[in-house]
Amino acid sequence: MRLHEYEAARVFESVGIKVPKHKVVQTPEEALEAAEEIGYPLVLKAQVLVGGRGLAGGVKIASDPEELKTLSGKMTGSEIKGVPVDKIMVTEKANISDELYVAVTVDGYSGRPVVIASTEGGVNIEETARKTPEKIVSVHVDPQFGFYPFQARRLLRRLGLSERLLLSCADVLVRLYKVFSQLEGIIVEINPLAVLENGDLCAVDAVLEVDNSALKRIEYPLPNFLERIDNPLERRGRRIGVTYVDLDGDIGLISSGAGLGMASMDIIGQKLRPANFLETGGGITEELLYKCMELIMRKEKLRGLFINIYGGINPIHEGAKGVVRYIKEHGVTIPIVAKALGNHQEETWETLESGGVHVITDVATEKAVARLVELVEANE
Amino acid sequence: MSILLDDSTRVIVQGITGNIGRTQTRWMLDYGTKIVGGVTPGKGGTQVEGLPVFDSVGEAVRETGATASVFFVPAPFVLDAFYETVDAGVSFIVIVPEHVPVHDVMKMRAYIKDKDVFTLGPTTPGILVPGKGKMGIMPASLFFPGRAGIISRSGTLSYEFAGILSEKNIGQSTVVGMGADPVVLTNLKDILKKFEADDETDGVIVVGEVGGEQEEKAAEFIRDHMTKPVASYIAGRFSPKGKRMGHAGAIVRGSAGTYEGKCEALKNVGIEVLNSPIDVLEWAEKHNIT
Repeated sequence: MRLHEYEAARVFESVGIKVPKHKVVQTPEEALEAAEEIGYPLVLKAQVLVGGRGLAGGVKIASDPEELKTLSGKMTGSEIKGVPVDKIMVTEKANISDELYVAVTVDGYSGRPVVIASTEGGVNIEETARKTPEKIVSVHVDPQFGFYPFQARRLLRRLGLSERLLLSCADVLVRLYKVFSQLEGIIVEINPLAVLENGDLCAVDAVLEVDNSALKRIEYPLPNFLERIDNPLERRGRRIGVTYVDLDGDIGLISSGAGLGMASMDIIGQKLRPANFLETGGGITEELLYKCMELIMRKEKLRGLFINIYGGINPIHEGAKGVVRYIKEHGVTIPIVAKALGNHQEETWETLESGGVHVITDVATEKAVARLVELVEANE
Repeated sequence: MSILLDDSTRVIVQGITGNIGRTQTRWMLDYGTKIVGGVTPGKGGTQVEGLPVFDSVGEAVRETGATASVFFVPAPFVLDAFYETVDAGVSFIVIVPEHVPVHDVMKMRAYIKDKDVFTLGPTTPGILVPGKGKMGIMPASLFFPGRAGIISRSGTLSYEFAGILSEKNIGQSTVVGMGADPVVLTNLKDILKKFEADDETDGVIVVGEVGGEQEEKAAEFIRDHMTKPVASYIAGRFSPKGKRMGHAGAIVRGSAGTYEGKCEALKNVGIEVLNSPIDVLEWAEKHNIT
């Protein structure tokens, strides 16, 4: 789960990383009120979780109340890259003399945390990695040992910082690692970490994504993940315990694994357009597949549905009952093709066929999708 | 020889008294796996499927001589159980559960760094050696003995590929699920190494997917160290972007795990990239893999 900037800033503050004076507002009136405390000029930042927010108009500077009123009025209720702006973070405009980049993230391949720093803050770090890789330094961390100030100083010496800046930056890195470790971060990032005119460091932006698998045990008050999901269908998917990604096609998909789901999409995508990606994981029950059917069928104008499930850990014969119960209760008429193999496959086939589902007993998903294409075309 | 598991490997099941643990134990036994006992703290002295249940892994190993363990332990308890299992001297560990926190997996990997332990997972269907045994949840009916090796990041796709081959009487030597998480305990290239050394494997199918850099790194290994033919399929060509870890992650992961980047890395070293799973049949025929 990715946190909003103001939420991440609160976390950073709690571990002693300096952030700009700020307030979170929802109306121009609130913005004006906040400005009285913060002073001008100030920065308005739309709290939307999209990349390239600044370029898309999500960051504005206001020099006086007039400008603040206009800009905050425009920003509230607008959309940045399709995401509605609900909250605005109003922050003081720091007097910046230099900008650094610092981050801690998971290096998937080595299986270790990696701490990254660069003298090129405030710009796209991928760009820096491509053009001037020598300006980025990184070090892998043993997660059982932790990350100590001496490691931070050793890393930062490679950037040629002055000793005073090096010490204060090392302090920020150690605190950032603490956030990464205690909040089970996938990534924590400050870009830019501003060097103020008085020499202090200040986190002018705050990125924090925490591990969804650890949400229940993180000892820090986190926002409700369900409320964080904007798309109502995706939110419903999370609520019932499946991964659902909303797409703009018209062929529904239920799969019992992420890889199988992606492969199914790839195969469907050659002839038709998937309406969604849905992956049940290993928790299939009759009830779950009933709810999956309900979720898929909320999508308007579906032309067909493909169910691709394996009985390894999943009791697919139980799941089939849920599918058929939904079909019968709701009189579903679009063509449904199912490929269901593995443990209890015969029983599963029998149940599915009793609900009018076209069962394919070949292993290859390609054959099942070919059948679906025929049925969808014949139905129209 | 198959890799990692055969019909003489003595296996324990951790979390054997749970619903999934019980059901899967029965199916592993039905398949001929030499399961010698199970572990659930607090349930020692009971039995599951006629097998003894122990309170600790140490006790289970002493009493049964087990060298391998398969986990059906709930995700929040996997880290603790893993440390215990490594300490008890078990040398092959399969972690089936999904949703193990990534920080736990990093600690697990750090713990075994200099130890002689081979591990698979988390989020793996496990390993199956057709006709000999299986550790994990792979549905037996789809597999058939033969000479093709399969390594898959996705569980369900490992079944799909094995099933497609089996339908045409092309068998498998060993099928390995390496785990679908962003951090896994053993990287793809280290499993490939086992297949290269296995005299019962004539060729290997790598079933990958978008994200991470397992396939890219494996490509380098295949170029430098493998003599057997390798085919690969990458799932997720039409998947929406956004499952990436963000900017800093992309830096350390080079080409950032795109479909195009992976295919290019694999093709550049002469690996056949399959357009669709069913194309694996043509590849197997071409290389005379049975």
